[in-house]
Amino acid sequence: MLIGFDLLDRQILDRDGEPVGKVDDVELALDTDGTPYVAALLTGQQALGDRIGGGLGRWIADIARRLAPDRDRGPIRIPYVLVAELTSAVNLSVRREVLPDPPLETWLRDHLIARIPGATDAT
Amino acid sequence: MSASSVTSRTEAPPSPAGGGGVKQVLAIALGVLTAIGGFVDIGDIVANAEAGARFGLAHAWVLLLGVIGICAYAEMSGRVTAVSGRPVFDLVRERLGPRVALANLAGSLFVTVLTLGAEIGGVGLALQLATSVDYLLWVPVVGVVLWATLWRAKFSLLENLFGITGLTLVVFIIAFFRLSPDTGQLWHQAAHPGPPAGEDWGTYWFMAVALFASAMTPYEVFFFSSGGVEERWSSKDLLTSRVNVFVGFPLGGLLAFALMATAATVFHPLQMSVDALSQVALPAAVALGKLGLAAAILGFFAATFGAAMETGLSSAYTVAQYFGWAWGKLRRPREAARFHTVLMVAILVGVAVLMTTIDPIQLTEYTLVFSAVALPLTYLPILVVANDRGYLGRRVNGRLANTVGLLYLAIVLAAAIAAIPLMIVTRMGGG
Repeated sequence: MLIGFDLLDRQILDRDGEPVGKVDDVELALDTDGTPYVAALLTGQQALGDRIGGGLGRWIADIARRLAPDRDRGPIRIPYVLVAELTSAVNLSVRREVLPDPPLETWLRDHLIARIPGATDAT
Repeated sequence: MSASSVTSRTEAPPSPAGGGGVKQVLAIALGVLTAIGGFVDIGDIVANAEAGARFGLAHAWVLLLGVIGICAYAEMSGRVTAVSGRPVFDLVRERLGPRVALANLAGSLFVTVLTLGAEIGGVGLALQLATSVDYLLWVPVVGVVLWATLWRAKFSLLENLFGITGLTLVVFIIAFFRLSPDTGQLWHQAAHPGPPAGEDWGTYWFMAVALFASAMTPYEVFFFSSGGVEERWSSKDLLTSRVNVFVGFPLGGLLAFALMATAATVFHPLQMSVDALSQVALPAAVALGKLGLAAAILGFFAATFGAAMETGLSSAYTVAQYFGWAWGKLRRPREAARFHTVLMVAILVGVAVLMTTIDPIQLTEYTLVFSAVALPLTYLPILVVANDRGYLGRRVNGRLANTVGLLYLAIVLAAAIAAIPLMIVTRMGGG
């Protein structure tokens, strides 16, 4: 597997096929004999902003950090052991409810969308 | 797509192909609606009639070129979506990385939101024709109705209603035959591309690039592939996808051609030019009377409202797909809060742009410059992924699709490079 070609920027789906986010970055670690391996997927605008870099990237990451419940929480981290299968998407073995909530989604849902009549109706 | 979710994708919905004749007609509504947004949205309705009035059928080949190009790329993106479940902007992000994809997002979002504004104005103009109430008064009403429709209505209802009603524009095909056109003369114009006396090559090419770019405008593939996901296409729906492409886009191109041809028949011999929607409707009224006019206005209304839905949804689709957010009308709004917020903001911005009293028809011509950035950056990743066995298995591009794809990539690039200088030299086609 090539991290840049087969993993980065792919869509992450939970076990029901619901979108979780993109693989915005990966966290590498070294095992006992010094071989690097992918320890976790990083997702969310904080990870994305840091990866884009420059003024624009800092701005994107700053907004995400400001919206997060805890400013020092860091980007959303999905341990690689939760990955069930790599296809055209990264399929997880868990439901997205067990992962940390994306802060922007939560904020917009609570402050805007859920207050409009019909927000919970299936279409 | 994991094995389990592939099965759930294919088993969950009742297959549209299994139904009777009506269902089979409705199964191509996505292709028809997508094509209407590309070929007969407000900018194109007027641009085609203007080209017909000023140049006769000398631009007919551009429509043919555009139809073939969008068919080739929509087929590829429909195939990728059906087989892998990935819509086009996912591919843009995966193959171009976050920075270049962000440039594409900025360019195409700018085009799409401005076009959305223009379409809202177009709906207003159609309502102005029917009611004589100034279109600017209609704009906020249309904005609210558009938002409410996209908030509440089912995706399939939207595409069926506006895809099919937009076909009222066939009135221009009937009108063309009723006008008993001088076919020898029209054929001569079509077979000898170039500016007639009194027009210059710069203006001729500016119109050609404008008509071609709008035929291949990127929001069509964004909308078409996302619509495929909304309809839960799987490998079993490859045929549905292809029928959508090869019926929908030629039909859109034919409607555009009918607008050009009626204008070429009525206005070109009189050396009149066309720059307003009311003038475009005139040939239908001349040939078919009040009923013809009513059908034309209904067609304008449905086509522009359909295009407004297409551009509105496309704006939200692309942003959500770039960031990996939950998106789509198949989810409750509460489950896709970011998606619905982008949709709302896009409509608000579109309405705000129009309230500056900018001419909605001219607005779509300006957006051409910005689609220059987005066009190659959208079609290149589609072509690359359509050759990737990791996504498509044995359903990768054949030699024909790759030849046509590469050829059009070159044409798109040439059109993108030529667009800005031509715009400056001809002062937006003013000559």
